[in-house]
Amino acid sequence: MSTHTLSRKQIAELQKDLDVIRDEVMSSLGARDAAHIRSMVKIARGSAIAGRGLLAFGFDPISFVLGVAALAHAKILENMEIGHNVLHGQYDWMNDPKLNSQDYDWDNVCDSGMWKHFHNYEHHTYTNILGKDRDYGYTILRLSPEQKWHPLYLLNPIANAVLALAFEWGVGGHDVQAERYFKGEMSFAQMQQRAKPFRRKIRKQLIKDYVLFPLLSFWNAPRVLLGNFLANLIRNLWAYTIIFCGHFPEGTKVFREEDCQNETRGDWYVRQMIGSANIKGSRWFHIMSGHLSHQIEHHLFPDMPAARYAEIAPKVEAVCRKYGLPYNNASIWRQYGTVLGKVLRHALPSSPAALKPATSGA
Amino acid sequence: MSSVLTAPRTSAFWRAGWLHPLNDRHALEEMLAGIDPLLSLGTVKARLVARQAETASCCSLRFKPNRWWRGFVAGQHLRLSVEIKGVRCERAYSLSTAPQADGCIEITVQRQAGGKVSSYLHDELPLGAVVELSQASGDFTPPTTLPAAGLLLIAAGSGITPMRGLLQTLHARGVAAPGSICLIQVCRSQQDCIYGQELDTLAAQWPALRLIRWYSAQQSRPEAAQLLALAPDHAQRLSYLCGPAGFMRNVESYWQSLPDAAPLHLERFGAAPLELAPDAPAVQVQLQRSGAGFASRRGAALLTEAERAGLAPAYGCRIGICRSCQCRKRSGTVQDLVTGTVSSEPNEWIRLCVSSAQSDLELDL
Ligand code: FES
Repeated sequence: MSTHTLSRKQIAELQKDLDVIRDEVMSSLGARDAAHIRSMVKIARGSAIAGRGLLAFGFDPISFVLGVAALAHAKILENMEIGHNVLHGQYDWMNDPKLNSQDYDWDNVCDSGMWKHFHNYEHHTYTNILGKDRDYGYTILRLSPEQKWHPLYLLNPIANAVLALAFEWGVGGHDVQAERYFKGEMSFAQMQQRAKPFRRKIRKQLIKDYVLFPLLSFWNAPRVLLGNFLANLIRNLWAYTIIFCGHFPEGTKVFREEDCQNETRGDWYVRQMIGSANIKGSRWFHIMSGHLSHQIEHHLFPDMPAARYAEIAPKVEAVCRKYGLPYNNASIWRQYGTVLGKVLRHALPSSPAALKPATSGA
Repeated sequence: MSSVLTAPRTSAFWRAGWLHPLNDRHALEEMLAGIDPLLSLGTVKARLVARQAETASCCSLRFKPNRWWRGFVAGQHLRLSVEIKGVRCERAYSLSTAPQADGCIEITVQRQAGGKVSSYLHDELPLGAVVELSQASGDFTPPTTLPAAGLLLIAAGSGITPMRGLLQTLHARGVAAPGSICLIQVCRSQQDCIYGQELDTLAAQWPALRLIRWYSAQQSRPEAAQLLALAPDHAQRLSYLCGPAGFMRNVESYWQSLPDAAPLHLERFGAAPLELAPDAPAVQVQLQRSGAGFASRRGAALLTEAERAGLAPAYGCRIGICRSCQCRKRSGTVQDLVTGTVSSEPNEWIRLCVSSAQSDLELDL
């Protein structure tokens, strides 16, 4: 890879260093981790009940605002700290059928099977490899000069705003791979077939938030409907922000397919570290972001219980320092600000700095 | 997949997607358990009410099950699940009594060397704690009518546990013909003899029971022929066998060599996983759902070995991160190729792309 100057020997050492960090945590998993995820489930459930209750039985604007906030809180916690992490298999070791990656389904319009395919497999394996990681720009945004410019990218800022507002829908439809249909690589029937689980999940989510709960609240139906819509919207904006800060801020690297052939685990580790970015924040900020604010640690060890990332972060940072690799960690304002900068800048034609292939858009 | 322990309710209410999350069974179960740990929508749960030492390394646990327990017949077994250090572990145990008037059930647990669950049940599970159980199953049960030639029960070590239930049931039925039930109990020594005194007392007051003991510490490990010679009419008797895997193999193959022997009932639990002998070239992997099987070389990833055999299990990253290849291992020992961890836990999730077989395996694929 041309994105760093480590020798084969250094990469082998780095692999060992990181394996040690991983093994230490993985061999100490136990009651504490189980208690953490169970308490998260309880809190999210409590918020959901409170939120739906306030929306259904309240009359005043205050209970409406509180209801929306509680339901948004429930959805964010459930999607990020519970759903995302359980679907990664972070708690499979507990052997608890309620917290198992193969069976879990989340409160999100994205089908969990499709999610596991394009996220756990494609995105986490081919992280930031242009053309292979379909999460890089979500096939509609241009975020780096290495992506070929096209006049449609003039719409970058609009596409970005739409994706932010409708994030769960963007994610839900992601694995349908509609762009392949438009490029003529897939027939309409094939696309329909791919979309099946998505359609099933859409039905389930729409009925829940826009039919079942509104109907159950009789005269309050419009209020509940609106409240549910707003809660989904808030969750979308939050998830979008956190996730965009994971791989797109200034300083994160992108890679070419040919740079990543015959990778060792060490090479893979390096790519994960320099292709991801962390966000600084409090314990609750980390929890509400599903610990994706520790994106670097998450990408190194996607199946380590996320609540452990904070404790290994200093060690990972030390490894980066030891090998002269960047450890991209900044406030949400700085990270998101640079993402927005890229969205705007690369809407227009831009070209990679000469003679520096496969680096960031700097 | 739902747990082996939860009887899946398939009524339309629980399956209706449009009612979600109002019919989220897991959530409702958890909320009920928050009120009272014994409450559930169908899961059998039971409270530990007593623990009694049987020998130095063996104790009996008495549980009071909730209303979902459907009862049992002597000789059957159940699967018990406890959470140890955050990990849910399941083990099968024989019910060690006949059905009781107060509805309580009892199991007898032999402490295993390095056994996570048995040590936990001995030392840590507090009185009053609630565990999850499966319904009882198994056909190691007493015959409806006693054959004229009588019964022979052959037990070694903790293999005596289902036998006690059988004896209690037959005793309660009033079986009286002297010597019609013959029990051969193999134990290491008198101190290690589970239910020793209790069985002595029973045999003394109940002529139908003939009790034969073999102490392997004094008399050496018994050969099947030698042992069964103690009950010369064994071949005619309807027989029941339970004990360690090696012992059972020994008796079973002797039994097969007998001309016109009466039927032999066996009760075995997930036999202790066998380590692959260092020179063994390959092990056999059995796929339960598809019925297929393949040979796997030691140290090679199961995914590539399955593919080499022409099978096509699901996969994604092939480096252990995406879990597309994950499946349940029913039994056997595997090694994680990344961490080197060796594990024999039954019913655990493994990733085919980074696991290698260390013994014969059964997979839920
Ligand atoms: S194929 Fe991805 S974990 Fe095995």
